[in-house]
Amino acid sequence: MAAILTVDDSPSIRQMVKMVLSSAGHDVAEAGNGAEGLEKAKAQRFDLVLTDLNMPVMNGIALIKNLRQLPALTGTPIVFLTTESDDAMKMEAKQAGATGWITKPFKPEQLHAVVAKLVRA
Amino acid sequence: MDIQATAPLPAAARADVTLQVLMIGLGSEILAIRTESVREIIDPVPLTLVPGARSFLPALINVRGNVIPLADIALRLGLPRGPETPDTRFVVVEIEVDGDPIIVGLIADKVFEVTEVQSAQSLPTPRIGARWNPDFIQFMIRWGDEFVLMPDLELLLS
Amino acid sequence: MDLDPAEVFRQEAAELLESLESALLDLGQKPGDGELVDAAFRALHTIKGSGAMFGFDRVASFTHDFETAFDLIRKGKIAANHEIVTLSLEAKDHIRLLIEDPISTSEAPGQRIVSNLQKLLAGDGAATVSPAAMAAGPAESAIPPGGQQGWRIRIAFAPEVMRNGANPLALLDDLRELGQCTITANTDAVPELSALEPLDCLISWSVELAADCTRADIEDVFLFVRDEMDLVIEPLGDAEAAVVPEPPGLHPEVAQQQDSTPTRPATSAPTHSAERDAADRNDAVRRTDAKGQTVRVQAERLDELMDRVGELVIVQARLSQIAHAGADLAIKAIAEEIERLASGLRDSTMGVRMVPMGSLFGRFRRLIHDLSRDLGKPVEFVTVGEDTELDKTMIERLADPLVHLIRNAIDHGIESPERRATSGKAATGRIELSARYVGAQVLVTVQDDGAGLDTARIRAKAEESGLLALGAPMSDHDIHQFLFHPGFSTAKTVSALSGRGVGMDVVKRTIEAMRGTIDVSTVAGKGSSMTLRLPLTLAIIDGLLVRVGRSRYIIPLSAIEECIELTPEIEARARGRNMLDVRGDLVPFLKLRQLFCEPGDPKPFQKIVIVTIGETRVGLVLDQIIGSHQTVIKTLSKLQADAAMFSGATIIGDGSVALILDVAQLLTMSHTQRSAERPAEAA
Repeated sequence: MAAILTVDDSPSIRQMVKMVLSSAGHDVAEAGNGAEGLEKAKAQRFDLVLTDLNMPVMNGIALIKNLRQLPALTGTPIVFLTTESDDAMKMEAKQAGATGWITKPFKPEQLHAVVAKLVRA
Repeated sequence: MDIQATAPLPAAARADVTLQVLMIGLGSEILAIRTESVREIIDPVPLTLVPGARSFLPALINVRGNVIPLADIALRLGLPRGPETPDTRFVVVEIEVDGDPIIVGLIADKVFEVTEVQSAQSLPTPRIGARWNPDFIQFMIRWGDEFVLMPDLELLLS
Repeated sequence: MDLDPAEVFRQEAAELLESLESALLDLGQKPGDGELVDAAFRALHTIKGSGAMFGFDRVASFTHDFETAFDLIRKGKIAANHEIVTLSLEAKDHIRLLIEDPISTSEAPGQRIVSNLQKLLAGDGAATVSPAAMAAGPAESAIPPGGQQGWRIRIAFAPEVMRNGANPLALLDDLRELGQCTITANTDAVPELSALEPLDCLISWSVELAADCTRADIEDVFLFVRDEMDLVIEPLGDAEAAVVPEPPGLHPEVAQQQDSTPTRPATSAPTHSAERDAADRNDAVRRTDAKGQTVRVQAERLDELMDRVGELVIVQARLSQIAHAGADLAIKAIAEEIERLASGLRDSTMGVRMVPMGSLFGRFRRLIHDLSRDLGKPVEFVTVGEDTELDKTMIERLADPLVHLIRNAIDHGIESPERRATSGKAATGRIELSARYVGAQVLVTVQDDGAGLDTARIRAKAEESGLLALGAPMSDHDIHQFLFHPGFSTAKTVSALSGRGVGMDVVKRTIEAMRGTIDVSTVAGKGSSMTLRLPLTLAIIDGLLVRVGRSRYIIPLSAIEECIELTPEIEARARGRNMLDVRGDLVPFLKLRQLFCEPGDPKPFQKIVIVTIGETRVGLVLDQIIGSHQTVIKTLSKLQADAAMFSGATIIGDGSVALILDVAQLLTMSHTQRSAERPAEAA
């Protein structure tokens, strides 16, 4: 099963992501902001990164840009969670190198579907 | 698993229930303990006597890091109990006292087997002629050629 | 083990609302502060997003408008001002209500707040607050025209699409899930192997999909890569021929677009991210500045942690014992290291559970204010040692006993202003509530400057209720203990507040259940004080392991004053009385072998451990002192409630159980023993 990193400043979102994905057998690591997420991604290989965009210390866009600089993360799917009904933000994240997005609020099935789509054996 | 005692039901048929029990020996008597209250059976461990405690709860033992009381139910029932032998076991049971679950070790001279008995095979406890205190015995039940005692553990230990 | 995420959200929201409030209050002072606006925005943003996730729909929809407003402020489109701050504070209170009671919280205040916000923002020149609806694109979900059985799809990705984590083959698999596919790859753009960049996607595809699906179903497959590809979808048979488009990357204009800086939000994006980067740096600074960042933990988890640490300490004790019995120096060294770590872990874990007493003391201000008014006794309330920390569970259990003691102090202790005047005291009484550490104990004292305890009246009352024989000799200390007797009250007139005799016995029981004691001290005319002695924690204590006969016991180290040897001289001087002459002091003693019914005679040179609680001392005569022992307290089961001499048990190094002596109980026993002896002595 896949190693997944969830980066969000909201513990409840992280917990939900973790619950949903662990129940599908994935190994979920957590980070509370972009900087922490970047550190974790440098230390361990992940098959998928799920990140919020609006976070303290380092936001999601900066995280995505930084992650794409890491050779190990070239080609690794990075999905951002967004509540923005804001196309500019979404564009920015895509241009930073994100693979896709999930719009909050989402249901566990949607999360499963996206992860299943992007993480394949 | 053995199914003993398959004699026909008495004419005055009470509701017949199959009880799963652990048979333990105390001196010359055999007691049946319901398996749902049995947590584990262990070899004897060192005892710590508790000065000032009631005589049938003389000691404490360490069972996997938990300190639990050890009960001498033979003493409580008024039965003679043999000296410690290689057959001696501690039967750890969970009972309810005033609504709280409590774990207690029981000293058994011997542990026989887990078996099933039919409640329809039970007899009321005789009030006279018994060598043991009848207050703590719910009923007696037939097991092969023997009559075994079904104690009321809650009553026995509180 | 996982928490309900909705519960996590509630806790998180409570913290976010707090930080929102402080950001808003600060913003009221410094309306131009971008950092504060950012902080408020982020709090609102998270509340909205997480709220929607966990079914707090009303929270999400209400918060939305404020989030938008702060986004506009953040982007400099409108300015923060006093009105917005005030309104946002109201909004924050409303959000809290919506989270606490999502169902029955009334709609009206929220609507009023939102409409006020709309007005405010409209006045500020921003015409609309509502965000642009998410551009979902025109919903063209036509199924293929009649008679047509499927679609022809032409797919060409931008070369970098794979670097961004997309998987073209997986997308083709998704298409196959829609129906029967005939896929043709166009590899014309793929260069010689030597020139091949493996992460570039240079293949394009043409797919004939025989399925009864809609155009939207197909577009959904490519949702995430829609802007990184050319996608042509046409009904089968519609087009003349399947022309596979060239990869867009090879189109000069597309290539150029990639070279230049992001073009789409060209006007706003660069400034945007510059702002954000600055904000990020500020955030980083603020985070490090922020003092005492906290994490909420459920109390049960702390208890669980404490249990684990307890188990570790027990196992560590066994390891140490085995290591020291052997000759292996390396194992000894490891055992010592583990002992050090376990003891550090124990202290840290206990530290996590510690709460300053100040949190409790604050609650009594109001009580004293009200009592003082109702009784017509002006009282000055002084607290000392608010920083003294005590185990969280104990602080909670202390509240009620302290209420009783403070009530008694005002009601019985402090005299009326008139009486105070006649004895030359200031009209205003004084009650001091103090806490301090003494060794491994915390002493909490309630002291008043009233008349002091009326020992004669307590005695009269005891005699009256048959607790004490008329004229029987008894020390003042013992007489004061009647105060804690159930149903005992000395108040001449029963006041509404105290004096019914309920309380003091309950206070004593509560304190004893916490392994604590109460000392009473009083000076006639000057006042009295009640001192609660409490262990720092309920779970682990430092103990002294001793042997009596065949059994080993633990004596709490905090109660031990000294250990001496019972020499034949000392024994001779005792002359059969249960009193020892310890360097000129008479100390009563208890022979534990007798008390515990250990058979046989002791070897000579027994040890005396002198224990003390408050003013009372007693010597415990025992056989051997083994050494100090970190003692994890295991409570005795209900079945052994009658084993009163012990406060619990613990597991010692060899895995066996040792009982922990209840020193307070032993002291009481020694007292009764002496009281019983005294008439004989007098005769």
